[in-house]
Amino acid sequence: MKIEWKYYDVVVIGSGGAGAQAALAASQEGCDVLVVSKDPLSSSDTKISEGLATVRKSGDENDTEEDLSNNLKMAGKDLPSKKLTDAFAKDSIKAYDRYRVNGLRPKINKENSGPQSLPLAMGGHNKNRSVGHESNGVAFAHTNWDTIINRLNIDYLEDSWFLEIVTEDINANGTKKKYVTGGVVYDASRGVLLVVKTFNIVIASGGLSTLYFPKTDTMRGNTGDSYALALRAGAELLDMEQIQFLPFCLTSPPSYEGLLVGEPSSASFLGVLKDNKGKIILDGVYLRTRAECSSAIMRAVEAGRGSPNGGAYLDLTPNKNKPLSGPYFMKYIQSVMPSAYDNAKQALGKEAANIEVAWEVRPSAHYSMGGVRVNENCESIIESFDGNALNSIEGLYAAGQAMGGLFGANRLGSTSLAELSVFGYRAGKAAAQNLEKEKNIKVNNEKFNEILKRVTELLGRKGKYSSYALKLELQKESWEKIGPVRTKGRIDSMLISISKIEEKFKNVSISNYSIWNQSLIEHEELRNMLLVAKSIATAALEREKSLGGHVRLDSKSSSFLNAPYSTVIKFINKKELKIKRIRRDRTKITTLILYKYKEYSKLFRAKLFRHLPSGIQDRRLEKKYKNIMNESENIQEVIAGGEKAAKSNSMGF
Amino acid sequence: MDITQDKTVESKFFVKINIITVRNHLKEEVKFKYQLSSEIEKPVALDVLLQAQRKIIPDLAFRYGCRAKNCGVCTIDINGRPRIACKHKVRDGDTLSALATLPTLSDLVVKRDGISRQLRGIGNSPKGNNLNINAPDKYHKLTECIECYACLDKCPMHKKNFDSSFDESKKYQNDGYKYGNPFSLLKLERLRTDPFTSEVGREKALKKAINIGLDVCIDCPGCKCGVGINLKENVIKPLLLAADKEIKKKKI
Repeated sequence: MKIEWKYYDVVVIGSGGAGAQAALAASQEGCDVLVVSKDPLSSSDTKISEGLATVRKSGDENDTEEDLSNNLKMAGKDLPSKKLTDAFAKDSIKAYDRYRVNGLRPKINKENSGPQSLPLAMGGHNKNRSVGHESNGVAFAHTNWDTIINRLNIDYLEDSWFLEIVTEDINANGTKKKYVTGGVVYDASRGVLLVVKTFNIVIASGGLSTLYFPKTDTMRGNTGDSYALALRAGAELLDMEQIQFLPFCLTSPPSYEGLLVGEPSSASFLGVLKDNKGKIILDGVYLRTRAECSSAIMRAVEAGRGSPNGGAYLDLTPNKNKPLSGPYFMKYIQSVMPSAYDNAKQALGKEAANIEVAWEVRPSAHYSMGGVRVNENCESIIESFDGNALNSIEGLYAAGQAMGGLFGANRLGSTSLAELSVFGYRAGKAAAQNLEKEKNIKVNNEKFNEILKRVTELLGRKGKYSSYALKLELQKESWEKIGPVRTKGRIDSMLISISKIEEKFKNVSISNYSIWNQSLIEHEELRNMLLVAKSIATAALEREKSLGGHVRLDSKSSSFLNAPYSTVIKFINKKELKIKRIRRDRTKITTLILYKYKEYSKLFRAKLFRHLPSGIQDRRLEKKYKNIMNESENIQEVIAGGEKAAKSNSMGF
Repeated sequence: MDITQDKTVESKFFVKINIITVRNHLKEEVKFKYQLSSEIEKPVALDVLLQAQRKIIPDLAFRYGCRAKNCGVCTIDINGRPRIACKHKVRDGDTLSALATLPTLSDLVVKRDGISRQLRGIGNSPKGNNLNINAPDKYHKLTECIECYACLDKCPMHKKNFDSSFDESKKYQNDGYKYGNPFSLLKLERLRTDPFTSEVGREKALKKAINIGLDVCIDCPGCKCGVGINLKENVIKPLLLAADKEIKKKKI
């Protein structure tokens, strides 16, 4: 394979939201930037998202920075770092406006002359602050794409896999520190191995949900590259056991398996979850977090009360069966998340689309809340070699889904599009500023040559197995053993499965050609997935109680009064994964109790409401819908499958 | 899609699909029997590719992403016409191949970036300053584009890129294609309908459209969008109308 060497001031891995924002920031500071993307430009999770972004104050004038920061921290069960939630709250409006400057156009609320928020606060948010967009995430993708191609000091490569980050240990003033010196990229479209020398790398290459394929609703490219690259470079990963499963996804037919049909808020005021006997397993669904819903479904499945395909039933019919408010609900469900509704309509059929029957749903892997341990400027932080003070890997940054520490044990809806705009930009800016620091680093070409040797020697290797088959094996095991339901026994067994697959991995065949060599690509992705699966399993053992996105069947749920801790994982001697806990600050007990009280009282009111006589419910609901939809005149009924329910519909109100 | 589905191999129902593979410029037609899980299963093209990769070609190269017609990367030719693989149902005897409108890299994967490179720097001009103005519907309509490149099919403007004898390596790496296509024009028209774009920016976008060959559109019956955007009404017509004088000058 041909080999090329190049230098850039800043290299960004990934071209989605976080990558585009990082490239923008570094480019504005005058840096020469390279964006390396394995998928076509900006075809990322951002593009296929529902396009909802958290914008503070968009739905409530009294939405303070403190409100938002505390909301994230408490929803994440106190695992989030306060420095990160504060930074998020501080920048959310500014970061969103930067997106608008580059082409994102929300609907404007004429009353407050700003972006218009959704009619209801999304599940778990203490204020209404989620802004929707026509064309959903695709609107963000256009902006990301434009941001990268418009700026001439940003170079980009599509179809290019970033294989390895190279660092040097340097002694300065008696202390040893790690510095980034570059990396190696497989440019599949030209069949070239590209050595990039740089002192600044931003990891923005997304998540790991492909480990659970097809039980995921995210992009195929989420093979955990961000975390594996960071680990091998010496970085620490936080809370890797915390994977967010979206509760309401499809179980069948195969082409639709894993895709999203709704969020807790889609359940509206009367939607409930039921088991296979029709018994309610969760009420007040619209007020619940994603984690609570996923957990209710999986507990029913484990108790043998699940649906035929290993899920439960989301019953929205009580909303529909009301003469006055029913038509409003239909408009609501069709417009609040149009592409999710579209999935339900196509996969489950007409009766389901008309909300005449309950929907069979099962959780899908959606987002990794854990990730690279960073500070509020997205600089990778590690415990120093003496074990006390915090240090950094100089020149290594992570943003977007790649970073950890912001969401802890639960991520609220609409926060990730804000996360990537806040932290993507911060990462790019910090990388640009790092250039000004004087460095006295002797770059050792040998380290690059070792990687080139490893990869070129793989070409034409004969073996017994295919990486693709091993990938499928790993995916199946991951869902069963480190998925939404876990026990110590299953996690231990996962570690054994991983070792077995690792053995076979040494014996896979790889074709001998340079341009778009799929078997080489599969090999490198599987290499990352294996390491990430091991990190999740190791961290999951350290999380002894049910907390956040998963259920531990063999132990109790963690109480909000337990002392919160995060798990931290890193490589020791480039071989062995080492895990430990770090203490997290607990929110003041009084604040926590107040927060819990508010949650419970909302749920209690919802429960009471559900038991009111139907006629009273109906009139009150009609009023509520009119109120949230900003409409006073009568509306026409929208027929599912009709013109008005089409995907191209606007977010509605 | 799951290994466990291998149990369904016993099903006696199948459809025969031809898959065209390409390695080192060598084309080969693979005859694949897709096993249906039941008589009523109606597989999409992506189901077929995933099963073929699992069963007979573990290094089969094809792109896919979201499986929900949102990411735009899985477009292939089915019987010679561009289709989005994750949503297009296949029938017995169908042939799956790489998009014919772009250069093939391996199997069903084509090189795409010659198109984005053509538009480099285009939106980089001074902007207006009031962010709180609603964008018109026509702006949002264009934002529905998922960049699937189905619209390149039969485009006479795009075809011109392959008529001449450009140096292949130069053609893709730096400047992108010389001649445009419906997608490029959509991007330019989107810039023009954005209320935040300044007058200078609008003119720059129009000029670019003319430079990449807008005049070809005058005699063309029209293009077809993979996700149903009316390209002729929303993209080509307004551009031609705005460029009327310039194009006439160019033609003379």
